[in-house]
Amino acid sequence: MGYTLQYGQITPHLGYLAEGAFLSFGLAAIGFLVGWMIGIVCAAVTEYGRGPVRWLVRAYVTFFLNTPILVQIFFLFFALPEIGILLTSFQAVTIGLALNAGAYLTEIQRAGFKSVRREEQEAAITLGFSRVQTIRYVVLPHIVRVLFPPLSNQYILVIMTTSIAAIFGIEELTGRAYNINSTTFRSLEIFSVVALYYVALTFFASWILYGIGRYLFRIKAKAF
Amino acid sequence: MESDLAQFLHPGNLRLIGVSFLTTASLSFLGCTIGFLAGFGLALMRHPRIIPFAPARWLAIIYTETFRRIPFLVKLMVVFFAFQFAGLNVSMFTVAVTTVALSAAAFASENVRAGLESIHNNQWDAAETLNMGGFTALRRVILPQAWPVMIPPSMTYSVGLVKSTSIASQIGLFELTYAARIMSGKGISAALAYGSILILYFVLCYSLNRFAAWLEIRLATSRHRQTQRQL
Repeated sequence: MGYTLQYGQITPHLGYLAEGAFLSFGLAAIGFLVGWMIGIVCAAVTEYGRGPVRWLVRAYVTFFLNTPILVQIFFLFFALPEIGILLTSFQAVTIGLALNAGAYLTEIQRAGFKSVRREEQEAAITLGFSRVQTIRYVVLPHIVRVLFPPLSNQYILVIMTTSIAAIFGIEELTGRAYNINSTTFRSLEIFSVVALYYVALTFFASWILYGIGRYLFRIKAKAF
Repeated sequence: MESDLAQFLHPGNLRLIGVSFLTTASLSFLGCTIGFLAGFGLALMRHPRIIPFAPARWLAIIYTETFRRIPFLVKLMVVFFAFQFAGLNVSMFTVAVTTVALSAAAFASENVRAGLESIHNNQWDAAETLNMGGFTALRRVILPQAWPVMIPPSMTYSVGLVKSTSIASQIGLFELTYAARIMSGKGISAALAYGSILILYFVLCYSLNRFAAWLEIRLATSRHRQTQRQL
């Protein structure tokens, strides 16, 4: 045998990997924010819409919740060109991430819409609140407190999902690991270090989100 | 397009899809089962009433906190090269099962812990009063009440792992996603190849999700009935 671990050979690349970690963070942010918007619209349609539009939204959500994101992106990347839509790998991955996150965020935010009780809104009207005031002081604080922990959870899950982008040649954290692997061949060292990078990255995201929740919305629950 | 369909419906091609479907299913099933058992052990290690030994608790916490924060693809690569490093010549299937089990263990340990914590401490005290040891109390008092809290989220997470197994195609394991790649390589249109695979994944995951939802309702009512009987 005689494979000895040599972490020394990859120390020059640690900075390169750290930049990749920032890219992962950013890619996750794009996917999450677009998915969030999709989620808000779809959750509203699910709760208040009816007819074929609602049916379509439910079909989208159910389908994306029950199929792997890797195959979804493969489909976007390889099958859409057949009907003339040519996506770059970055576009395919971002759209895939957003659509996938959108489906999950729809389900999460539906629960948020449901959590506001009718009586509370009526109480606000009784107190002479205007519609804007009702939303600002009664509905939003409620929804934010209910939704913030699962939303931050979802963001961290999206960060981990972005590693799939490496399969499509995008040089985020995992993609850069592949790059270094092809020049140094120190595979086990590189991937174990990258694994630790992901642990650090998600802990970092957890702490920031926990801080935001703690000081902005007074949520004590620690997500993820 | 028509020749595409003929090629797709060719018995050899259908067999390819069937075999790869079975690989995905057995990979998920084996990985999740092993992982759940390991996660159960980890949760017990973390419980002060069962194993009152702090280092065991720290180990279990470190394992859970790191392994659920590593993406499946990276974990797969680490396991793949770790087997190579250890000098073990194992099949790709073993590598994939190990990865699924490692992921499942981390999440199952969280679910099992939540289940154990959902039982009030008084129950442990009562069991102790009856002169039950830690494991007897667990088996006869705690677990019968904790199952309904543990099983449904673990099922839901298993469905997530079924989806993650698609990444195992990256190390060349012959499962559904790899079959789609082979099909589109043989000249079947990508829409048909990946579309049919998407539908198969959907069938598998959707039915599992429905089963998890049914189980949740079913277990919840049985628990309710139990409390009613006790009253």
